[in-house]
Amino acid sequence: MKYVIRASVLAFAGYVAGIWLTVAVRGGSPTDEVAVVIGYILALTGWLAGIGGIEAFGRQWIGKSSEVSTDRGWRRYFEFSVDHKVIGIQYGVTLIGVLLIGGISAMIMRIELAAPGSGFVDLDDFNKIVSMHGILMVAVAVAGIIGAFGNYIIPIQIGAQDMAFPRLNAIGYWLIPPVAVALLLSPLLGAFNAGWTSYAPLSVTNESGQILFNMAIVTFGMSSILGGINVITTVITMRAPGMTWGRLPIFTWAGLATSVLSFAVTQFFAAAVILVTMDRVAGTSFFQPEVGSALLYEHIFWFYSHPAVYIMVLPGFGVILEIVTTFARKPLFAYKAVVASIFTIVGLSVVVWAHHMFTSGMANFLHGPFMILTEAISIPTGVIFLGILGTLWQGRLWFRTPLVIAFGWLFNFTIGGITGIFLADVATDIHLHDTYFVVAHFHYTIVGGSIFALLAASFYWFPKITGRMYNETAGKIFGIWVTVAFNFTFIPLFWAGMNGMNRRIGDYPDAFAGANKFASVSALILGASFLLYIGNLVYSAIWGPKVGPNPWNARTLEWLIPSPPPQHNFTSQPVVIGHPYAYGVKGSVHAHFPDAESPDDPGDGRGSDEEGVLV
Amino acid sequence: MRKSWIPVVILWLAYSVLIIWATAQFTWFPKEWAEEAAVVDEAMLLLQYLSAPVMGLVLAVMTWSVIGWRTEGGAHREDGPPQRTNRVVVTSWLVITSALAIYVVINPGFIGLAEIRGEPSSDYVIELQAQQFFWEVTYPNGATALDELVIPSEARVRYDILSIDVLHSFWIPAFRIKIDAIPGITTTAFATAEADGTFEDDVNLRVQCAELCGAGHANMAMPIRVVSDAEWNEYIETLADNE
Ligand code: HEM
Ligand SMILES: [Cu+2]
Ligand SMILES: [Cu+2]
Repeated sequence: MKYVIRASVLAFAGYVAGIWLTVAVRGGSPTDEVAVVIGYILALTGWLAGIGGIEAFGRQWIGKSSEVSTDRGWRRYFEFSVDHKVIGIQYGVTLIGVLLIGGISAMIMRIELAAPGSGFVDLDDFNKIVSMHGILMVAVAVAGIIGAFGNYIIPIQIGAQDMAFPRLNAIGYWLIPPVAVALLLSPLLGAFNAGWTSYAPLSVTNESGQILFNMAIVTFGMSSILGGINVITTVITMRAPGMTWGRLPIFTWAGLATSVLSFAVTQFFAAAVILVTMDRVAGTSFFQPEVGSALLYEHIFWFYSHPAVYIMVLPGFGVILEIVTTFARKPLFAYKAVVASIFTIVGLSVVVWAHHMFTSGMANFLHGPFMILTEAISIPTGVIFLGILGTLWQGRLWFRTPLVIAFGWLFNFTIGGITGIFLADVATDIHLHDTYFVVAHFHYTIVGGSIFALLAASFYWFPKITGRMYNETAGKIFGIWVTVAFNFTFIPLFWAGMNGMNRRIGDYPDAFAGANKFASVSALILGASFLLYIGNLVYSAIWGPKVGPNPWNARTLEWLIPSPPPQHNFTSQPVVIGHPYAYGVKGSVHAHFPDAESPDDPGDGRGSDEEGVLV
Repeated sequence: MRKSWIPVVILWLAYSVLIIWATAQFTWFPKEWAEEAAVVDEAMLLLQYLSAPVMGLVLAVMTWSVIGWRTEGGAHREDGPPQRTNRVVVTSWLVITSALAIYVVINPGFIGLAEIRGEPSSDYVIELQAQQFFWEVTYPNGATALDELVIPSEARVRYDILSIDVLHSFWIPAFRIKIDAIPGITTTAFATAEADGTFEDDVNLRVQCAELCGAGHANMAMPIRVVSDAEWNEYIETLADNE
């Protein structure tokens, strides 16, 4: 805790110093945007130095050796720990917290929209809440699975002791709290009302809260890029002996693909908001109609933000494929084709951005090519579905909570994918663009595809991470509850969009009252399901029954070591000798520990009862 | 177990038929007030029909997973058959999904695109200038209006869209047309209204701003009145005289 306090003090001091310096040099008021920018930069520096940068990096610069936290126990979660497992949990808990805050903002919006007219919050506040909601949730979807489970699981799945760059990994995590703080404090400067997309020129002329949004995006982007480099390097260089590319677990493949994308494209969003910031504080005119271009922002923004939807959903594919093989007790169907498809998606995702701009007034000849390329993505996506369905085919399906949620995922993402075609088609998109149809579509893909996978993953790896089992009945009830409530919330919104309701509005014509009331009631029921989720996980982490290493009788490396894993993951070097998903193949083994004195557990699930609980 | 394809295929057909039937039962779209609207609705309906077998297949496998392939019991159960992959299945899947994707790109993709763009010719040009948070209409004779947009029916109108501050978007839900208003650029949209009517008849006869533009965005809408060509000419004349 003392580091968090030191970091907060230094951050505050940095902010004050930045403001003071700026005012001293150029005059003006301490709430001028230039002052806020300088203050923010110094605050961020102070925060990183205080949280552990001084010990981890600073000491080396004066010739001493670096120091990092070696605490065990709960304290390490509040320190600059370089253990990928601690960092994974830090990401997970922080982002679930952000998810809940974003969820509260959603509840406020749905209450306002329950009936036409504006009363609960006024129209401008509604725009500010929708903008806040959007960016918080996008952050959760971008960093949730890869930050929490990518960090925790990927190094173990490939048989490594840690990430390639443990200190960068810690920096990556500690950049996240400033993002949340900057966004949540932005109402002090008038908040931002231009949406999470923050299209210029509105984002150049709105209130100063926009500056904090811009700073938060740059900070979050740095975190994504550092995380990306780390995963790429780790997977390429730190695989255990025998872990050939053909034996790489699918979640690791998905994490690698995601990291390639976030490493390659995140800077475009940062560039876009930096240009906006320059227009605001430095008097440039990138997005001014006479000398710059108001359309330019959209191109730069979507050059990141379309690939970003795959940054959100590829780890989801990985999680669901992992869960489906484990609980179907079958090899991953068409493994190679699935891996090839994941990388085809990575490639295609950077050349489709302008499908968000079919009504933007961009040149007409661009519509055809972007339509073709967008619809081409449905082909590799289809192959991933084939992988899932083919693995389920004639499986011995064991319906535990992860698989129940995976089924919810499958249903939702199918609808999300199909409605994506409607939006990729220029003729239909011209009507549907910027309506509630789009809102429903991307909730089906992002919540349905990424958040549902995050939920499924949190049950699947819960016993590994905590060493305890969650409550199965409560888990299943939650899985069904969240799926049904989610669908009831968003299905009516497709109808509303097709029938003339545009998005990002705090008031609407009476004609849409019915669909909106239905969606609002369902949304509150959806929100309530999360009490059961949090309750189950928190209770079980403390009081749940203890489990052995491998409650699911799964085959990848994380299940061959104790739960929770020891500090350096492996007490002896794992050697990979077979395919990770050779379920049903007699005598096949994925990995073994040749040097182990007494093999702790052969990984066949012995030592636990039918429900996987330790006996 | 070996014959699982029979129930799955039956379920697949059943779900597909059910979805197609449901698609045909309801009116999914608001009333069409312009020729362009029919093109869009037709494209949308076609996509809905094409979605049926896709959704149906996923539902069929999911249903049979629960009915036919579920096993009880814990971690010591037997494994499933070790089918890893099947070249024929993967290849045919690829061929079928690619064919579907190509088909959709052509129809309604390019065909719809061509139809909705149509000829860049028009009988009249009406200019709409967006600003936070209202529209200013300028008719061909120079008359202007802020409170409503009056359109001649049975005539192809070109809308020239401008903005003087931030992005807005010109959307007439009843016509299914939309184009953004961008400061510094004039964008255009075409529509041919088919029947006389007013905002009171249908809320979708409105010009709605569809791009977040600030505090008043939700209410940045303007009622539309579609009248006969003669009435329209008369209307813009009196409007000009009153100025
Ligand atoms: C089958 C694949 C998909 C296709 C063909 C597709 C297509 C589209 C298109 C064309 C749009 C633009 C619609 C408009 O604004 O008029 C759109 C919007 C969107 N899609 Fe998808 N999409 C697909 C999958 C996904 C996935 C996997 C995600 C996220 C994980 C996603 C997230 C979004 C988001 C966030 C938006 C709205 C952005 C905004 O305007 O704020 N989509 N999609
Ligand atoms: Cu996109
Ligand atoms: Cu607007």
